Amino acid sequence: MAPAGSFESLHAAIQGGANSIYFGVEQLNMRTKSTHNFILDDLSEIVRICKENRLKSYLTLNTILYDHDIALMKRIVDVSKETGVSAVIASDHAVMNYAKKIGQPVHISTQCNITNIDSVEFYANFADVMVLSRELSLLQVESINKEIKRREIIGPSGNLVQTEIFGHGALCMAVSGKCYLSLHSNFSSANRGACVQNCRKSYIVTDKDTGYELEVDNEYIMSAKDLCTIDFLNKIIESGVSVLKIEGRGRSADYVNITTSCYREAIDSIQEGSYSSEKVTVWKERLATVFNRGFWDGYYLGKLMGEWNDSYGSKATTRKVYVAKGRKYYEEAKVGEFLMEAQDLKMGDKICITGPTTGVIFTKIEELRIDNMPVIQVKKGTEFTFVVPKKIRPSDKLYKIVEA
Amino acid sequence: MVRITQLRAKCIGCNACVEADKYRWRISKKDGKCTLIGGKEKKGWFSILVDDHEYDSNLLASQHCPVNIIKIEKF
Repeated sequence: MAPAGSFESLHAAIQGGANSIYFGVEQLNMRTKSTHNFILDDLSEIVRICKENRLKSYLTLNTILYDHDIALMKRIVDVSKETGVSAVIASDHAVMNYAKKIGQPVHISTQCNITNIDSVEFYANFADVMVLSRELSLLQVESINKEIKRREIIGPSGNLVQTEIFGHGALCMAVSGKCYLSLHSNFSSANRGACVQNCRKSYIVTDKDTGYELEVDNEYIMSAKDLCTIDFLNKIIESGVSVLKIEGRGRSADYVNITTSCYREAIDSIQEGSYSSEKVTVWKERLATVFNRGFWDGYYLGKLMGEWNDSYGSKATTRKVYVAKGRKYYEEAKVGEFLMEAQDLKMGDKICITGPTTGVIFTKIEELRIDNMPVIQVKKGTEFTFVVPKKIRPSDKLYKIVEA
Repeated sequence: MVRITQLRAKCIGCNACVEADKYRWRISKKDGKCTLIGGKEKKGWFSILVDDHEYDSNLLASQHCPVNIIKIEKF
């Protein structure tokens, strides 16, 4: 299950080989403050795209809710049912209760912090799929999955309940994301999707008596590294988990595409029996090219109680630089025309093109042309063309991929 | 006089402004977003001129708004 915070990311997830995507609309999702946010009117288009590509679509409706949110929540659930969204991901009981009443399937959000089989049994009254707590070890996950079968815990559909876990992406220091820091410091509640990410900053501890300041071990002591499970994905599958979720609704389309395709390849290779440490090394290198805070295995292997970042921001090995916007695509020649708006571009440059319909295209510049004449370099302000394997559009942006 | 303005469409319904001044702000049960009571709309921005005594509470509302959509000016 891949994140879709925008139409670009939605297409990037499809191109990456996701089986399903999750997204939020309006202000009742955990990425309310994100620059891109879908609105209710986008729902039918999202579902249409998903159905066309045989993907399931999941709508996150998992913030805490106040009385004044109930009418909007009900409208969102109603529209999700009308438009054919596969299920809503809920954490508040009001959502579960209402969705059940109108017959819209529900998934239980990780915000519910499910850590034991009896909670699974309780939530099975409402949902067929539930996201387990991020803080469980794989042994605990496995034991829950075995117990679901042994106790024959069935959901509203009449089938055995399925479990889902987070497989890749940002982790935070709060238990199941329930954090008060952002509300405390900025009146910006993380539980309403408005986290200001206090835990990603560095802090100094001051001795009140002497005023002596300590920068603790030069580490960002609350900033967890990113979860990455690709090197023990076989164990995750063996534990009986049905859905692997990639975090990142706030991330760009290229991030979604690369993470989704790496995990798609890994899952397929496990099924084919060709999963190997050599492949894992290559996938990890690819995963490191997009936004990350360094990787660790989360709590699943039960070894470390937390691994913390030692620097601010991303540790990606590459970064994107915006250079041009799309103009036209010549279908027959498979040539894209662009307008250079910043910096320059030369032969051999690695690039990435993203757009709301295009999704994401990674390619390398083999030949550049201005007025159909080959050139070595293109500078700002010029219209230029080159061969692009897939259709590009005027809404597309072209980025040069450079070493970070 | 004090002018209060709000870009309502970006409201996330957190209730912080209501806590700061419940006589000037009310969350709509229709869409879960906050309404500037008495405000007039122009291109998505709602605004109203109020007396000076409302300055402090609405300054707080603007400072506490997590999405920075409330502005307050004193004349």
